[in-house]
Amino acid sequence: MRQSKLVSILTDVHLWVPVGVLILGIVLLMSLR
Amino acid sequence: MNDNLLVAQGRSTLSLHKLGVFCGLAAAVWLGTAEAPTKLVNAGFSPFLISMGMVMGAFVARWTVPTLLKGTGFLFADLRDKPHLIVWALLAGMLWAVANTLTIFAVRNVGLAIAFPLWNINSLVGLFWGWLLFKELRGSGFKGWAKVLGGAFAIVGGAAVLAYATAQQSNAPGKAAVGIIAALGAGVLLGTMYIPYRKAYISGMNPLSFVTIFTFGELGTVLTLSAIYMGGIGNVVSELHRARPMLFWPFLGGFCWVIGDLFQNFAAKYIGIGRGIPLSNTNQLWGLAWGALVFAEFSGLSTSGKVLIVTGSLVMILGALSISMANPGASELVNWKRAMDRECERYGLDTKVVAEVVAGDDPLAQLSAVRHWWEAVIMLAATSVFVWLAIGTRSQHLAISMPWMIVLVAGTILPLGVCGTLLWRRTRFS
Repeated sequence: MRQSKLVSILTDVHLWVPVGVLILGIVLLMSLR
Repeated sequence: MNDNLLVAQGRSTLSLHKLGVFCGLAAAVWLGTAEAPTKLVNAGFSPFLISMGMVMGAFVARWTVPTLLKGTGFLFADLRDKPHLIVWALLAGMLWAVANTLTIFAVRNVGLAIAFPLWNINSLVGLFWGWLLFKELRGSGFKGWAKVLGGAFAIVGGAAVLAYATAQQSNAPGKAAVGIIAALGAGVLLGTMYIPYRKAYISGMNPLSFVTIFTFGELGTVLTLSAIYMGGIGNVVSELHRARPMLFWPFLGGFCWVIGDLFQNFAAKYIGIGRGIPLSNTNQLWGLAWGALVFAEFSGLSTSGKVLIVTGSLVMILGALSISMANPGASELVNWKRAMDRECERYGLDTKVVAEVVAGDDPLAQLSAVRHWWEAVIMLAATSVFVWLAIGTRSQHLAISMPWMIVLVAGTILPLGVCGTLLWRRTRFS
């Protein structure tokens, strides 16, 4: 994958919103264990 | 951007909106049925084990029926065209895996009939992300907003009624609270999962390609979570061995889930997540039907509790219907196109080709029609796994109603045939 495409991915808000929610979900799962 | 384009020669002229609505309804049936095997949690198996069984089933099932629809040549060509979307498909799979594990905690603590509608608030979350990130509903008139917002509030109200009913009926409030939190958390994760869905489809990816990568993301996540929770991969293997006699059932759930998710993906593609997801979330009807009719979950509840659950569910369904009936107008479709243009510009995609794919006419499908011998081997191997598990399956001693089960199974297979035919005639599964 070209570097410019990688930059496009890493600066895309569409990436960081799901990543943030995923982290919160894992934390919730750990606390319910 | 959808229905205004010409339909490809020799294809059905069914509008993409109607097709999306049918897909959403078929998804509801199959996703609802997929959750029924989680009842096995009550038989003394770890929620992680059940979740892992479903995910492994989904992973294997992806290589059965879906491989018949589109071959591996098409899959690889599609992925080569939009490699950046692999990241989002994996991410969506990871979100689903965590959400699914939460739903199993929820089912164990408050029961399928209660937990199911609660985690269906994911439609609200999906609606919000659709509006914020993909310009869905932008440019929609007052009527459209009223239908969607009215429906959204109805869904929240219905969820609140159900949560109240849970608290009223539970003998262990603390346990019920954990179940409710788990179900709501799953709703947020599932709602956010639709961000990758929508992104993939306004970029011209095929739902079958997306689901393929998705299953790798979910399997990897579930195996990792299970290894952490069970104290190492050795313990996971040993638990799977112990669960061997019941493993067919979560695998079957995974199979149903793959079919349901494919329909849901087609719905997200053709009518957007703001409309498609609420529609597929009428799967609560099937969750209720399985829980109440087959597993007799309502037997211990008081009449008022039953009335509350049924009322809350009906309110939620009406809300979902209201949202789904809000057809996007021309001004909103302009905004959908802007969201698509953003992806094309950002990732160097061909706008014309993507527009064709979004309209249900994928040029790639014409080029990659060649099938390979190894596809037959893959399908045979995947099917053999299900047969092998089925042969060694033992009854879990759950009280079930066989006549109702037959009715529900028949009601599940019918929409598969109808909607599959519609999709083929209109889009060739594009």
